[in-house]
Amino acid sequence: MPGTSQHLMRRRAVVAETRHLLFSVGPGALWITLFLVLPSAYLMGVAFMTNGPYGLPQMPLTLDAFERLAGFGFLGWSPGNLYTLLRSLWQTLLSTTLVVIVAYPIAYYITTCRERWRPIMLLAVVVPSWTNQVIRTFGWMNLLAPGTPLSELAEGLGLIPPNMGLYPSNFAVTLGLVYNFLPFMVLPLYAAFEKLDGAQVEAAQDLYASPVRAFRHAVFPQTLPGLLAGIVLVAIPAFGMYVIPELLGGGKGMMLGNLVAMQFSGGSNWPLGAAGAILMLIATFIGLFAMRRIGKRLGGGEEVVI
Amino acid sequence: MSNRTPAAMANAATLATAADQEAATRKASSIELHGLHKRFGADTIALDGVDLSIRAGEFFTLLGPSGCGKTTLLRILAGLEEPDQGTLVVGGKELTEVPPHRRSVNTVFQSYALFPHLSVRDNLAFGLKMRGLPAGKRDARVDEIAAFIKLGDLVERRVDQLSGGQRQRIALARALVCEPDVLLLDEPLSALDAGLRAQLQVELQRLQKRLGMTFVFVTHDQDEAMVMSDRIAVLDSGNIQQVGTPSEVYERPANAFVARFMGHENLFAIHAREDDRVQTDIGWLRLVPGEQDSTPGDWLLVRPETLEINDTVPEGYNHLAGVVRERLYRGSRIEYVLEVNGHALMVVASNLGQRVHQAGDAVTISVCPEDLVTVVA
Amino acid sequence: MTKRSLKRGLTGFWWLTLFFLYLPLAVVVLFSFNSVNSSANFAGVSLRWYQRLLSNEQILSAFANSMVLAIVSSVIALGIGCLIGYGMYRHRHRKLGWLIVLIYLPIVLPDIVFGISEMAFFVQVHEATGWLQPGLATMIIAHVTFQIPFVALIIYSRFVGLDPTLFEAAKDLYASPLKRVRHFMLPTIKPALISAFFLSFTLSIDDFVISFFTSGPESATLPIYIWGAIKKGVSPEINAIASLMIGAVALAAVLSLIFNRRRPA
Repeated sequence: MPGTSQHLMRRRAVVAETRHLLFSVGPGALWITLFLVLPSAYLMGVAFMTNGPYGLPQMPLTLDAFERLAGFGFLGWSPGNLYTLLRSLWQTLLSTTLVVIVAYPIAYYITTCRERWRPIMLLAVVVPSWTNQVIRTFGWMNLLAPGTPLSELAEGLGLIPPNMGLYPSNFAVTLGLVYNFLPFMVLPLYAAFEKLDGAQVEAAQDLYASPVRAFRHAVFPQTLPGLLAGIVLVAIPAFGMYVIPELLGGGKGMMLGNLVAMQFSGGSNWPLGAAGAILMLIATFIGLFAMRRIGKRLGGGEEVVI
Repeated sequence: MSNRTPAAMANAATLATAADQEAATRKASSIELHGLHKRFGADTIALDGVDLSIRAGEFFTLLGPSGCGKTTLLRILAGLEEPDQGTLVVGGKELTEVPPHRRSVNTVFQSYALFPHLSVRDNLAFGLKMRGLPAGKRDARVDEIAAFIKLGDLVERRVDQLSGGQRQRIALARALVCEPDVLLLDEPLSALDAGLRAQLQVELQRLQKRLGMTFVFVTHDQDEAMVMSDRIAVLDSGNIQQVGTPSEVYERPANAFVARFMGHENLFAIHAREDDRVQTDIGWLRLVPGEQDSTPGDWLLVRPETLEINDTVPEGYNHLAGVVRERLYRGSRIEYVLEVNGHALMVVASNLGQRVHQAGDAVTISVCPEDLVTVVA
Repeated sequence: MTKRSLKRGLTGFWWLTLFFLYLPLAVVVLFSFNSVNSSANFAGVSLRWYQRLLSNEQILSAFANSMVLAIVSSVIALGIGCLIGYGMYRHRHRKLGWLIVLIYLPIVLPDIVFGISEMAFFVQVHEATGWLQPGLATMIIAHVTFQIPFVALIIYSRFVGLDPTLFEAAKDLYASPLKRVRHFMLPTIKPALISAFFLSFTLSIDDFVISFFTSGPESATLPIYIWGAIKKGVSPEINAIASLMIGAVALAAVLSLIFNRRRPA
């Protein structure tokens, strides 16, 4: 096309490409912005507002909600909210550790089995998590209620007072968390074990002779990216867990998720709930950030999660 | 196709089919490219002002190293890339801004690009279907092309059941069935093993002659280009270095790049000139008087097959003294690496039963002045 | 410790873990056939709780709500997610960091934060404008929001797995932009479309927390109904409906196994 300048043609191409991008990605980006980014931003804002008479947020802006979260209320300082926070942290730490202890040998065991069985074994681990969380937790309620064989066994061993049952309790919450998150740890660990360089492990066994040292120097470092991915996949949602402590924990087993939810039902205190949500968000982003950093340093950590 | 012998192929080529007759009546299209420029990003220049005429019914090859712009040129012909500047005329029609689906030009892709979700038959019929040909006619045309290209028994298979060579032929048939004005082939043989490749080179060239269609072929393999093409354009860094028949490009390379790319190793810098004699690394050599201009800084090309190792030097020939350093016995020919004046010189001798020289032998080499070519830098 | 005894120990641990994983589900199924209302004693086999289900209108309407929610939200998410997946693929050479962040946001946000921010937002919008009253519509909006990223990523990875010259081959073979969508892109990504739909459907059926916070009084889904029933006091009817849901999951597991087997690796 003599007469059409190079510059104009290029500009036309850029405009066409940009329009294509807008039409393809635009609706979804708009949807997520409108129905998630905006609501989350609103929630962030609520955390800095004053609690109104019906639990709804009002002006002026204040840091009251965060003070309440730290335990300062109308009646002076009380440790209730702080206990909930600490309990959330403790439950997260404990259940993540237990999940690692169970998942590590399981993931390893699957890789030692015949190749044709491995997908079936993985499926066997994952299928229970396909059922609804409420139903799974309900199953544990049935198992741990007073009068059930498990409760009576615990009673007989003198672990719990008579006629109490194993639930509601902090123990039941930990159990529920481990049960719920086990597959989340097995999958990335399995992926890491499957990629394990067998030659390196054998060389290590030759070099160090002791299996413990071979594990420490050859096996463990290679599975570390999968392990870290699993920890993030377990710890972040465990910290914000709502259903399990609500059903299995009772009043003394409450976690941050329950504290937050409580502020939004039955006209309680939206700003306080929002402040708790911000705390959860911060924990989430710290987890993701740490994951990225460690993943980059070790190489191959991110792909396991994604 | 594994049982295909050259004799059987020759036989098939002489049999006139319905498709042959149809092809003979069709008019092939010429291609005119004028002032094509194409850049990628800020500083990658793929084409830097290309002018080219491709004749109707010609087997034309774009030859060059990777990144020379040959594939970009082919993609501009196909409409998959728009030039920043310049025009493209095919069969008298300006196509520069016509989108690919409205061009009567089809491509055989390097990866074959067969649709994995479709059977072989549906792959072959895809172009016809998109052009709106009714199903009955499509089937007839597909059967016809399958018979023409000897693929009848593959038509009902799935694409993933085909071998590399079969895929290549299906990709070719899928483009041919649309009866385009021009067929573009983007290194279609590069993924095949050497034997199959040599066989398909011959078949492809025969097919083109039978159809009389304009073929534009892209390759980085100079042997393949020479075997198949009517004419070759050698490209480097977005510019056409030379256009000519295979013998022109091989025997009279336009510059040192073309000479090297065509596989020539005996290139020697010209240091000085006196009348019709030039001084090079391997010594003084006489050229044909007056015919070849050359200046210091140019190169002298000595084709290894024009050199003779002889005790007696024919009248008027140049002669050089050298020592055999290496000998490679190739059966039909013998390749020698000689050391002449401290420089390596390749000599290729047909194996006609003459004396075979050993490493370490001192020999005399003679070459006719007419076989010496000077090449600009 | 020898290799063999290690392997034997691991095998034992494996079966113990499987027992742990399936025990709660087995208990739910077992007690759904209990002839008496107890979660501690199994008195005999009966189908009375299943019979009760059929006459419980709340459960039937919760089931209907779950299905409508799952199907409608999956269809919308499939449309929007497909476009994003294709857009991400087509423009993958551009810097799309903002888009990646946007797409991963629904995945990484804790359920409870997701749920309450939607709820707080919907409540405020409703107060201000009268639109978006909590109910099926708000639940569909919330579900689509968390389904979009999964659909987009599945479709994107399918496109990335394709030979890019296929797109050019379609253009070269006279397919106009619309015909390319109909005769090339949609048929090529069909398996990804099907699995994206089923994943969205499963995510929707499986969700409790987000549904719980965005639902209205008339729009309880099965998990919400079960939640309410549990909170009010355990009833064997819940065992029955929960068992049916477990059965559906078991069926899906078997189907996915068969489907994966049949597909050549």
